[in-house]
Amino acid sequence: MLFSELYSTYYNAVARILRSAAERPVDKKELQRLILENAFGESLLTIEPALSEGRWQLLLPGGSSVLEKAPEMPLTTLQKQWVNAISLDKRMRLFTDEPVLYPDVPPLFTEDMITVTDRYSDGDDYEDEAYRKRFRLILSAIRKEQLLRITTENRRGRLVKRVILPLSLEYSEKDDKFRLIASGKPDGGTYNLSRLKSCSLYNGEYWKEDMKTHTVKMRKVTFELYDERNALERSLLHFAHFEKEVERLDEKKYLVTISYDRDDETEMVIRLLSFGPMVRVTGPDRFTELIRERLRNQKELFG
Amino acid sequence: MAYSETVKNFNRIRDDMRQFYVYGFKSRDEYTKKSGRSYDDERRRLESWLGDYVQFRQTPEKKTVFLSIDSRITHHNPLYKAWKTKSFTEGDITLHFLLMDILAEGTFSLSEIADRVDEMLSEFTEPKTFDESTIRKKLKEYEKEGIVLAEKRGKTMYYSRPPMEELPSRDVLDFFSETAPCGVIGSFLLDKTEEGDDLFGFKHHYITSALDSEILCALFPAMSEKRMVTLKLVNRMEKDLKPEEVVPLQVMISVQNGRQHLMAYVPRLDRIRSYRVDYIVSVKTGDVCERYDELLNTFRSMQSHIWGVSTQGQTGSRMEHVEFTVRYRDNEQFIHERLEREKRCGTVERLDGNTSRFSADVYDVREMFTWIRTFLCRITEIRFSNEELEQAFREDLERMYRMYEIE
Repeated sequence: MLFSELYSTYYNAVARILRSAAERPVDKKELQRLILENAFGESLLTIEPALSEGRWQLLLPGGSSVLEKAPEMPLTTLQKQWVNAISLDKRMRLFTDEPVLYPDVPPLFTEDMITVTDRYSDGDDYEDEAYRKRFRLILSAIRKEQLLRITTENRRGRLVKRVILPLSLEYSEKDDKFRLIASGKPDGGTYNLSRLKSCSLYNGEYWKEDMKTHTVKMRKVTFELYDERNALERSLLHFAHFEKEVERLDEKKYLVTISYDRDDETEMVIRLLSFGPMVRVTGPDRFTELIRERLRNQKELFG
Repeated sequence: MAYSETVKNFNRIRDDMRQFYVYGFKSRDEYTKKSGRSYDDERRRLESWLGDYVQFRQTPEKKTVFLSIDSRITHHNPLYKAWKTKSFTEGDITLHFLLMDILAEGTFSLSEIADRVDEMLSEFTEPKTFDESTIRKKLKEYEKEGIVLAEKRGKTMYYSRPPMEELPSRDVLDFFSETAPCGVIGSFLLDKTEEGDDLFGFKHHYITSALDSEILCALFPAMSEKRMVTLKLVNRMEKDLKPEEVVPLQVMISVQNGRQHLMAYVPRLDRIRSYRVDYIVSVKTGDVCERYDELLNTFRSMQSHIWGVSTQGQTGSRMEHVEFTVRYRDNEQFIHERLEREKRCGTVERLDGNTSRFSADVYDVREMFTWIRTFLCRITEIRFSNEELEQAFREDLERMYRMYEIE
């Protein structure tokens, strides 16, 4: 069962408390700290009195654990089934050639049960040995904060070498691609993993302090949304992953403001256009003009 | 009933979480289906679970609470927290930790376990007592979950704990908990690991499907065992519909709007159709379907004409044809590449260095409208086999011209 107290934040928080108590008695202050760090905003009001008043009989009055050992729970069948399912995913080999498997249970799902309807077809090639090697090198370099020397191709097709400090890997489910987010000199950047020509550890001297992170410049767009053909739900789901504000103007009209990365502006323009007459961009003027320009061109083509 | 941070029934919060997150404009008065107190409790829970993401907007007329989450900045799906809020009794939690501790030592009979429980609790001034039947019930429940092993020796049942097994690496769990179906289970596993750095970020990341994980968890085993299921459904107006017996064939996931659908054969209609997973309230597994492979093959053969999830157009015709031509400049070859990578079941032809044509035969062309509109400003020609649809497409375009005052 998925919705079970076995996986609950309360059980996990209490397990953390009992792990600490297995080492040394937990005083009131420590107890409060552990609850605040491991549970929800108001959990202190429940967990602390329940343990100290002995309603949950796990912590003795002196703060030591009633258990013999630090608490442990074996994996549930559901957890093992899920791990077996992801071990079949083609992306698993990016991480390891020998994924963890539990032979006593079947996978929760297999690839042939699922169709992703709208993923782009030119995703990264995870079968490519060189790609996998690069992926693992980058992941390890991020964790160890190691510098990398990478070669990329610029817009004119010329090879450019750079020393970067890798910060994270960004994955897009729509593109099925990984991008490397890195800081560098004079500026940080985002690099498609599949477009890296080479990537190796850099052992030369380089001042990490001089490296700058690429700052994401956020912009806002505001549009009116007309709730016809279920457009309200469709568009709000479509834009759900952005930071946004929605205001109801009347029965059928809403005002939506979305924050987006300036680098993704073209994508935002076509995404808003795709909603047709159900969406009307109201500002800023510069953005509205981008929409108008496309419509003007379209009108000319259709005559 | 007094307020509690935990909840008994997930369906009670499933829809509200979605509404707070997806809509984000509803005020207290607009949650008409609930009493004021119930709304206040749910808002309080939401603030407690997801404090960092809850925002308010105050206007003279009303106060609106909403969830604002930029999934590119957030490394872990915050909605998973909702799955970690199941309520329990004082006895449940006490017994849980005691049983796991006792069974770590070896194999015991029920009475030995009961004695050990009493012994451990004897250090409290007012020790709780658990009778054997309560302990037996809990052990049975845990056996079903896979965290307790039971073995009958003669007339006595003996209980033990399965060995602690190796977990996938934190990187694996970090990544797949956000990208694989039912990723919340990965999040449960992450809770068993020590905190670590988050190395992954996610773009175009839809998180609402997390709320439907239990439905998928019920559908997948039924599909692998080729069984029928009975779906309890609600419609868009959240009204209960009659339960529907279906043969589940495929889960369709959109990575461009986050929706999940179940494709299923419906004996009552004798056809394959889609069901939105967020409209499924519960799944009851039924008998094995003898025709499962045949139905799955039928679905597979239909897939080359399904653009999204629809298997039937609104006009009633069996199949609809659409084709359109786009023109681009010499330095805009990426437009042809876009068509190629986004064409799904369609076909793309390059007519010359600056012109490409897309065509497709699908059950429901209307599903393609939004995608076709992403090429506006480049479409030189468009043709639908269904004149009514072509007119609808062109009327929408005219409305857009008027909206933006394009002369």
